[in-house]
Amino acid sequence: MLGPIKRNWRVLLLVVVIVAASVALFAPQFAPDTAPGEDAEDAGQGLTNLQYGLDLAGGTRIRAPLMGYTATGVEFGGDNPSEVAANVAEQLEGVSAREVNAEEQDEQGGEVEVTDPDVTQDEFRAAMDASGYTYNDIRRGVTAETRDAAEGVIRGKINEAGLSGGSVQQVQSITGEWFMLVEVPGEDRQDVIDLLEERGTVQIDIGYPDADAENGTGVEEEVLIQDDFENIGTASRDENDQPYVPVSVINEAPEGEDSPAHRFQDAVVEREVASDTGGARCDFDLDEGELNEGSDACLLLVVDGEVVNAFGMDDGLAESMVSGSWAESGNFRLTTTSFEDAQQVSINLRAGALPAELDIAGEGTSAFISPTQGENFRFYSMLTGLFAIFAVAGMVFLRYREPKVALPMIVTALAEVYALLGFAALVGYPIELAVIAGFIAVVGTGVDDLVIIADEVMSEGDVKSRKVFDSRFRRAFWVIGAAAATTIIAMSPLMVLSLGDLSGFAIFTILGVLIGVLITRPAYGDILRRLLTVR
Amino acid sequence: MRSIEVPEVDYTEYTNRQLVLVPLAVLALALAIIGGWYLVTGAPANLGLEFTGGVEIRLADDGDGDMNERIDAAFEQEPDSIRAIPGDDVVVVTFRADADDPDGMASDLEDQAEAGGFTIDAVDQVSPSFAADTAQTALFGVAIAFLGMSVLVFALFRTFVPSIAVVASAFSDIVIPIAAMNLLGIEMTLGTVAALLMIIGYSVDSDILLNNSVLRRTGDFYESVSRAMRTGVTMTVTSMSAMIVMAIIATLFGIDLLRDIGIILAIGLCADLMNTYLMNVTLLRWYKFEGVSR
Repeated sequence: MLGPIKRNWRVLLLVVVIVAASVALFAPQFAPDTAPGEDAEDAGQGLTNLQYGLDLAGGTRIRAPLMGYTATGVEFGGDNPSEVAANVAEQLEGVSAREVNAEEQDEQGGEVEVTDPDVTQDEFRAAMDASGYTYNDIRRGVTAETRDAAEGVIRGKINEAGLSGGSVQQVQSITGEWFMLVEVPGEDRQDVIDLLEERGTVQIDIGYPDADAENGTGVEEEVLIQDDFENIGTASRDENDQPYVPVSVINEAPEGEDSPAHRFQDAVVEREVASDTGGARCDFDLDEGELNEGSDACLLLVVDGEVVNAFGMDDGLAESMVSGSWAESGNFRLTTTSFEDAQQVSINLRAGALPAELDIAGEGTSAFISPTQGENFRFYSMLTGLFAIFAVAGMVFLRYREPKVALPMIVTALAEVYALLGFAALVGYPIELAVIAGFIAVVGTGVDDLVIIADEVMSEGDVKSRKVFDSRFRRAFWVIGAAAATTIIAMSPLMVLSLGDLSGFAIFTILGVLIGVLITRPAYGDILRRLLTVR
Repeated sequence: MRSIEVPEVDYTEYTNRQLVLVPLAVLALALAIIGGWYLVTGAPANLGLEFTGGVEIRLADDGDGDMNERIDAAFEQEPDSIRAIPGDDVVVVTFRADADDPDGMASDLEDQAEAGGFTIDAVDQVSPSFAADTAQTALFGVAIAFLGMSVLVFALFRTFVPSIAVVASAFSDIVIPIAAMNLLGIEMTLGTVAALLMIIGYSVDSDILLNNSVLRRTGDFYESVSRAMRTGVTMTVTSMSAMIVMAIIATLFGIDLLRDIGIILAIGLCADLMNTYLMNVTLLRWYKFEGVSR
């Protein structure tokens, strides 16, 4: 009973691999995970469990660095990080303290970064020198903490915007610079850029009539900032069809400090947005950024440093502000001029602001492929692969004219590709053009090796016994092993270097070579032995 | 049934010097072309978008008027190249990056294309600084792969002449396709870099087979060579046919990556036939008959 199994274990192993690949490809249990809000049919593309990458499914890919400079090896000299950040920010004109961060790494100190895109490397160097902290060097880019935070924010933005299946990761180039790599299937390039290009800072300023100011408008900035909001609702319309985002302002604070809601309430009353006579009637010129003649004070909704809307306050709300009861609930509506703005504000508030700006236009790369083009590529590349396999099959038949040798050769080579497809489905690796190129390369090397085996085994006359066969097979295998090792060595740099899609090409070529050497080629040897051995 | 046989070459008719002359001359020519290219253009090959920076836009050809005229009219900037894809009604337009102002180029071009009434199928933007980075990475990758291959070959054979024969022939297999690319006007892209690395893997196969047959097995030198050649030429020609078919079909459908890989591998495998069975055989013959006895 065990005899035949033992004699044919190589073929059996191949059969097991093929069955496993089929399960991974077709069984519903291995279907791709569905993203929230996506049904199973959308997640699986086509008959199989295979997932397709950007160039075969359509979508947008953006790779860009975060703008900023980081001073490394800064000695804090006993100051805590926020003191260090404040001291450095003081030396930079017109830069908010929130754009400078210090990260403590050990007792000596750590790194200081500036994330304001307008600050040049020289300006930052001068500021660091002026601040008196010693440091090693200044490099482009931001700290690891900021990158991690940015990755989280981008992920949040993609999810909040309802773009299913998007992904974010950090990649490092050979020069050591870090990039954020964002991929969003099925989405237009411009839409994704719009979502990511702006940092998405949201704040409330108060504009008030000020006779001393040049244009008659004084502005109290950052009355409320991003972190002061909680319970952010989705964009809605009120009874007058006015779009708004319902939010509440945090009304709890540690002992001895005012909560954001109380601070806001005080500021609103002080600037007379709310007064005993009721709420302010706002008349603000958004283009000029100033109050029109005779206007009361206005609340300004500022997104990415730009006033997107100005509004006054209705009498009911003003009354509760003046009496001080509003802060107990903290509920508030951020009204906007358009529903799109309301959606944008809602996404920005929920996902948070990017800690640094993405340099998409300057140093990034971006690619967009329309879904129809992707679908065409999918079909055309499969066709190309099929024809390449036919070409190989044709050559093999022409050379051997012996179906006993040639047919198993082609079937074995196809089995390799099938096993690779199964693997891709199992781990959910998206199939891209580069991966298909890898498959074709695998068929090429695979058939090469099978030719070596066939020629070696059939050389020097008929194969009379199992012993003769085995010794010849082993000889052939030395060459195959050596050749496989060189292919793996040659391909491995591509696997780790960040060279676009090519890591997929390298991964599948290497995997194919491994599957070939360990499973399919020995099995081909067994098949050939059964067919050729004179019994 | 008669099968196609690999023709046998009678090496005894030629001297070592005669045999090695052809591959060395071709290699020298290839190096001269690449060197000349470097002196004239400042780069060893025609660098593609990925290595220079710029924007590539694919526009759907809806058959409404002459595409070239419409493209000239639509874009403010002069396109670097316009290429129609025969199998798929698409026109690929590329623009070189403007070194002074790379900002927002893709977005501007996108707007102009839409204003011109085009349907955009794909947009690919690479910034110049990123492209320079990619070129450096690619060069590094090829160098590391070549070095790794050389070390492995020396470890496998542990004798100098046969090992250096493999390494030299692999070097020539990479250099010749690069020179051929320059002459044929094919641009260096990530796909061609992948193909060059693949050549390292493919070309070493037949060299190892030959060395193994001559060095590790008993029997007459010429018999060993012809045996290895029968297998090796079959292998190389089979792979070559697959690559040529892939290149043709991918060109028809405008799948640049597959086209580039196909063309470069086909040329590389062609060079490999010459290098293995002229240069490598000669070095081995010298080693076997003269080198060992010294």
